[in-house]
Amino acid sequence: MPYEPVLLANISKKESYTLRVYEAGGGYRGLRRVLKELSPRDVVEMITASGLRGRGGAAFPTGVKWSFLPKDHPGPIYFCVNADESEPGTFVNRIQMEFDPHQVLEGAIISCYATRASKAFIYIRYEYPLCYRRMQAAVNECYAAGYLGKNILGSNFSLDVYLYRGAGVYICGEETGLIESIEGRRAWPRIKPPFPAVEGLFRKPTIVNNVETLACVKQIVDRGVAWFRSLGVPPEPNNPRDPGSFGPKLFGLSGHVNRPGCYEAPLGITVRRLVEHYGGGVWQGRKAKAAVVGGLSTGVISEAEFDTPLDFSAPQRVGCLGLGTGCVVVLDETFPMIDFLYNSCRFFAHESCGQCTPCREGTRWALRILERIKAGRGRLCDLDLLMEIGLTIGITPGTTICGLADGAAWPIQTTIRKFRGELEEYIKKTNPHGYRETKPLPAMTGD
Amino acid sequence: MSQFKEHAADERSLASHPGAAPVLDGALRREIEAYLSRYPTKRAALLPALHLVQERLRQVSPAAVREIACLLDLSPAQVQDTLGFYGFFKQHERLGRFCLRVCRSLSCAARGGEDLLEYLCRKLDIRPGQTTADGLFTLEFAECLGACDMAPAILVNDTLHGNMTKEKIDDLLKSLAAEKDAAGT
Amino acid sequence: MPTVIIDRREIRIPEGRRLNGIEAARLAGIEIPHYCWHPGLSVAGTCRMCLVEVGTRDPATGKITMQPKLQPACNTLVTDNMILVTDSEKVAQARAMVEEDLLLRHPVDCPICDKAGECLLQDYHYRFGRPERRADIFPFSSRRKDLGDVILFADRCILCTRCVRFAAEISGGKELMLIGRGTEEEIGIVDGYPLCNKLSGNVVDLCPVGALVDKDFLYKQRVWFLRRHANVCTGCAVGCSIWIEEHQERIYRIKPRENPFLNKWWICNDGRYDYSHVHDPRRLLRAEKSGAPLLTVDLQSLAEEINRSLRAAGRLAAVVSPHLTVEEAYLLCKLIRGIDSDALLALGPVPVIGEDESFPGGFLIAAEKCPNRRGVEAVIAYFAHRAASFDELLTEVDQGLLGGVWVSAGYKHEWIGPATASRFDRLKLLVVQDLFPSPLLERATYVLPAPVYAERDGSYVNRYDRMQAVHRAIRPPKNVRTEGELFWAMLGGEGRYDASRVREQLAYEIPYFAAARGGVPESGVDLKSNLLADEGDVSSRGGC
Repeated sequence: MPYEPVLLANISKKESYTLRVYEAGGGYRGLRRVLKELSPRDVVEMITASGLRGRGGAAFPTGVKWSFLPKDHPGPIYFCVNADESEPGTFVNRIQMEFDPHQVLEGAIISCYATRASKAFIYIRYEYPLCYRRMQAAVNECYAAGYLGKNILGSNFSLDVYLYRGAGVYICGEETGLIESIEGRRAWPRIKPPFPAVEGLFRKPTIVNNVETLACVKQIVDRGVAWFRSLGVPPEPNNPRDPGSFGPKLFGLSGHVNRPGCYEAPLGITVRRLVEHYGGGVWQGRKAKAAVVGGLSTGVISEAEFDTPLDFSAPQRVGCLGLGTGCVVVLDETFPMIDFLYNSCRFFAHESCGQCTPCREGTRWALRILERIKAGRGRLCDLDLLMEIGLTIGITPGTTICGLADGAAWPIQTTIRKFRGELEEYIKKTNPHGYRETKPLPAMTGD
Repeated sequence: MSQFKEHAADERSLASHPGAAPVLDGALRREIEAYLSRYPTKRAALLPALHLVQERLRQVSPAAVREIACLLDLSPAQVQDTLGFYGFFKQHERLGRFCLRVCRSLSCAARGGEDLLEYLCRKLDIRPGQTTADGLFTLEFAECLGACDMAPAILVNDTLHGNMTKEKIDDLLKSLAAEKDAAGT
Repeated sequence: MPTVIIDRREIRIPEGRRLNGIEAARLAGIEIPHYCWHPGLSVAGTCRMCLVEVGTRDPATGKITMQPKLQPACNTLVTDNMILVTDSEKVAQARAMVEEDLLLRHPVDCPICDKAGECLLQDYHYRFGRPERRADIFPFSSRRKDLGDVILFADRCILCTRCVRFAAEISGGKELMLIGRGTEEEIGIVDGYPLCNKLSGNVVDLCPVGALVDKDFLYKQRVWFLRRHANVCTGCAVGCSIWIEEHQERIYRIKPRENPFLNKWWICNDGRYDYSHVHDPRRLLRAEKSGAPLLTVDLQSLAEEINRSLRAAGRLAAVVSPHLTVEEAYLLCKLIRGIDSDALLALGPVPVIGEDESFPGGFLIAAEKCPNRRGVEAVIAYFAHRAASFDELLTEVDQGLLGGVWVSAGYKHEWIGPATASRFDRLKLLVVQDLFPSPLLERATYVLPAPVYAERDGSYVNRYDRMQAVHRAIRPPKNVRTEGELFWAMLGGEGRYDASRVREQLAYEIPYFAAARGGVPESGVDLKSNLLADEGDVSSRGGC
């Protein structure tokens, strides 16, 4: 039976982003029910039972994250909606906020109720001005309708929501980077411990959740835990630490396909299905060479690996960082992988916040090596050097404070592992006299 | 107590040099101050303040930095530190009437985004980061605009333009120039 | 007592202490390399040099579970049964990686860098770094920026942010900032708001590399030629512990000496940079009698001659400088009272400039600009029940009640004007011990050159009743005798003057100093901890 979208159910309706249309489709009934019938604890348990995992990239179980909040804190507790979607290849939050902001908002209000937050900040990246306008309009409508403000719908739950505008920096999507940014500082992620749930925004308990995660919260409240768990991929039987990959997911598809776009399907569809069935196949009659699986950070898979399911566990099995944002960018057979690697290294060197030595220097070093290779002065041993950088920087080995370095590292690791032949050929072709060199080369002009 | 406060107190006459009018007028100040009630610290109003000033004055000059610092009880270095991190705010020259942010991340690059950036550079005769002499266009490269479904994309002030081609860029530039003429600025 | 296992050794952590991995490892004699952590500043955890392996040992079964990721020791508070491993291959590789990363863009201009010889980047490279350079970037620049009180060699900076945190948390002015993002970052200031505050010199100590440099010390001396001596700053009544660093009897640099009870890790710029009086060519360098150089140079003869003069002078008085050490004040009072049992003992003028200045991190600069008013007052009070003020002494001079006055001065700055000096004209005998020429000298029968603080042995008591003892850092100039030596000789003391023996003596005699018996530890001793004085003595000390 074909899957019926729920997260994207509204987007084709005219003026889908207005309260009127949203309520006509059953919107805010969930909120009403929650405020009337459920305690915050009930909601936390429901979300925990559903197995919902964050859709921002880290895939942390949402209910577990909420349970880290201190039990009897006098408050205030803050809630941050992470709408700083900046992962290259990712645009699904944008679609949601432009066309169905109320779904996100309802999910946020329910989540704030569950976490006893009294103030919520929606951190929207600067590059989403339409989202900002529509979310603000939605917030205003909610205040007018009594879904926000003091004593919402006659309960003793009060909530204020403010929008916060970003300024073009990727690291503000990291939860503590986001918190630092709201506080008016440079967005340097914080060392943990302490964790945000204990000491976050303004040193108070704070929960940061992704836009899509909150939309799922609303859907779980409306349709139930059983429905949510009927979709997706159950945990691996012999892995007690696997929480499974439940629920629907928005998959952004872009790059060299015929129909780039945002598609909703249960977790677990394969890359090939996404590309062929939803995306209309590779463009211009070409074949695919590679794809990034979940935004640039997760690294690449080769065409041979396109049968990898898009859930929270399977991408690791083919050497990727994880599902990430679940957004796939397809590269066809004519696209040089050296250009992919260069684009990736350039992105992360530009976006590194600069506080940790390995990331700050390592991303720049990787970029410099790529520049040198593209300038026709590459050596085969440079690939080993890049690989070493790719294996040593990041929160996975523990050498950095946040995961940006891992995002920089995985494209390096996967590209070299899976396309080494192509890269070596490029180096040999462009530097026929020097590719065997192993000693460090003199500087290029301009160093 | 802290020395910067003394400096700030001197700046309360609020001039880049004595006798000049303050950079932030009363209305802008009030808009910034309106943010203060949302946050327990004044510093949290900094990024909104920077946005307001850049939108209104098309730049956040060093004088504006001092005035914002004064308004929010921060040292000028604290304001500048945050400002400089984002690489987003123009300090020593004004943002053009239209800021063209051309995406150069993966999806757009895979569909010709870099060529379009080069094309714009040649057409406007400026490099990324610069503004045309008539003050109309500022060209910047952007990292993933989140418009991958419409790659290659360009963000022009507050409007996202997708599926761009060289022809569409020509049309866009023409219509923006016409808009500016129509507005009479 | 919690037990932590560090490199397979069991270390007991003192009860109630919250220690991080670096501090705990120090208890085991292991130094975990680090750049950005400092005990006086907030934890940043950004340099990543202190990464270690962390695990736990099950107290019941002894089973060891190690965490797969490395952790920064600076942000890891040790708990009972925690395991730290600092000597594994994993840790070694991480350290080598961080070193290599820091050296990528570093100019490696050690031959022209002040920090060579005390640079952590150098030290860690030799101990933990890679043997060969693999980077293909060879940046060289000596680009420098004037930040105000200090200079920044921006390309040497490793972005540990200690200086930025110091300016925010300890000195409070928040003048320093980071410019930009990522690999382009550097430290800077806003034009017109330079790093100019009284604590700014501390950022040079904090800088692990040669990025931040003293303007005062720039290119003056190689650090491996410097010998350092524990001493005490005499700039104000706080008396911060310092290191005086000298080469061939010339002071090149003053650094803070860690004292957890007092100045912690900091000193102010006045104490740090204001030692110009030490090698000032205007210093008095030879003894004079009635305006002519005193030809008797040996100590014994000098002592006898001045003793004779004192005995013949009639009623005596002494002006005891608050710059004198406790021992010297004691000997002077004993000497004068020994000749005239009714002699007037006055405290020298106490220089006060402005008001006390306190800083957010807790540091204080006292308005009282002398190191030992409390100590001197306590000594005088022992001999005379109460320290007279300088004004009272002047009154007695005016009234012709005094025959001979011994003025021990030793002030850095002008302390007496011509009008006041002229009041001493009528005295039969005037002995002046001082550093610099003053109007008083023309009236003096004997002019004796005084040593500076760095040339004395002895102890001082600061405004918090903390006594610190020092040994001299440099020898005084050739004909300059310390007061201690002179007084000892004049009292007929046997052998050389030994300040610690005099201290031991007076600690037994004078109850206020009782806590100094048996020796004074490195960080000084709080005299309040063992006050056996009766109320009368305590309350007679001025200004308590």
